[in-house]
Amino acid sequence: MNRVRLKVNGQEHEIEVESCTLLVHAIREDVGLTGTHVGCLTGDCGACTVLVDGASVKSCSVFAVSADGAEITTIEGLAGDEGLHPVQQAFWDEFAFQCGYCLPGMLLTTCELLDRDQDPDDAAIDQAINGNLCRCTGYASIRSAVRRAATRMAAGDPDALPESQRSESPSAEPPPSA
Amino acid sequence: MITKDFTYHAPTGLDGVVSVLAEAAGDAVVLGGGTMLIPDMTHGRTRADVVVDLSRAGLSGIAPGDGEVVVGATTTYADVLADDRAPALVPLLRVMAGGVTGGPQIRNKGTVGGSASYANPSSEVPACLVALGARMRLASASGTREVEALDFFTGAFATARRPDEVLAALVLPALTGTSVGYTKLKHAESSWPIATAACVPGPDGALRVALGAVAATPLLVTVDRPDAGVADPAWRAHVREVVDAAVTEPWSDVLADGEYRRRVAPVAAARSIARALETGGEEETP
Repeated sequence: MNRVRLKVNGQEHEIEVESCTLLVHAIREDVGLTGTHVGCLTGDCGACTVLVDGASVKSCSVFAVSADGAEITTIEGLAGDEGLHPVQQAFWDEFAFQCGYCLPGMLLTTCELLDRDQDPDDAAIDQAINGNLCRCTGYASIRSAVRRAATRMAAGDPDALPESQRSESPSAEPPPSA
Repeated sequence: MITKDFTYHAPTGLDGVVSVLAEAAGDAVVLGGGTMLIPDMTHGRTRADVVVDLSRAGLSGIAPGDGEVVVGATTTYADVLADDRAPALVPLLRVMAGGVTGGPQIRNKGTVGGSASYANPSSEVPACLVALGARMRLASASGTREVEALDFFTGAFATARRPDEVLAALVLPALTGTSVGYTKLKHAESSWPIATAACVPGPDGALRVALGAVAATPLLVTVDRPDAGVADPAWRAHVREVVDAAVTEPWSDVLADGEYRRRVAPVAAARSIARALETGGEEETP
């Protein structure tokens, strides 16, 4: 067994894993965060996406032991106490997901994109999300959500702020957890 | 889930890597970015007693030298895309890296050395290295040797690398002022390529084209320059003739059978040449 230290969504974890344990299984079973999904286990679908030291990776294709010492952001790390992350809010407002299975990849690759490009064109958006398979919505509404998130975040639009800091929420009901 | 555990090593230098490989006596696999090896282990296609992870071995980076550019084996596609010097130093790898299938998650992890070592006939790196006339720098406990890319790829998923060796770096010729061309045919965003072509004009003006995904190993052809333009039917027929002669045993898999790949290979070759001669080599958005 190997002792592995991971900082997940700002919280330190020390776990014991076999060398062959995949990062996605360590996050779900040892850290206990099940928002990171197991899809294809071939690196195709993107449902297991997390950020490792700020870079998106498919956690089914990483050994947990290789991530020793890394800072990891999972989909649970996006929303704060004050409400949804602006990218989550944009996906909510644009009806850009149905079952939610692909959301870890869609949201985290969007965050990675908007970190380095605040005004992405459609080609840049496609390039950012093309490692994720969505089998519900098609991709047009997802592209709209990325554009909406970019516009709001760049303009400092109040709708991009967490819900608690807005005077009026566009969403009638709180979204389900991921 | 991988059912068979293994001994994991992540040496902090090349010396550590080669000594683990020497001790393992053929029972080790080398882990680059993991995008191909780990799914293969998950699905039981590859089993190993020892895994040597290169991620802490310091083998990443692009270093220009005297008439050549040394690309560390663990340089990722994202490293190539983020490097401002890449369009000048490694223009072909840069164009190729931008179109790698699998999204930023794969481009952040996948390495040029890993793709070369895995030698999937459908991978993009091998044919690019053959087009460039790259040399593969192989390290072992008994020293370092270099193998021409054309000789390195010996078959589908097979290379000249010995089990006690690691691919440490790719040595590429400096392409000062050379305009390269690259094209890739695939029919869905998440598909492996069906055919790729990389054109690197030689110093004498000869048009060297390496074809990928159309045979078990990259195929290198040299075609005449299109004196009457790339749309000239006579020149197109010449390209088809040269490529047809090279594709003796086309590669077949679930995505496309060999006869289809044979049919599209000359088209890919002609497009890569057109891009090298006319547009400065930029791949259009796939």
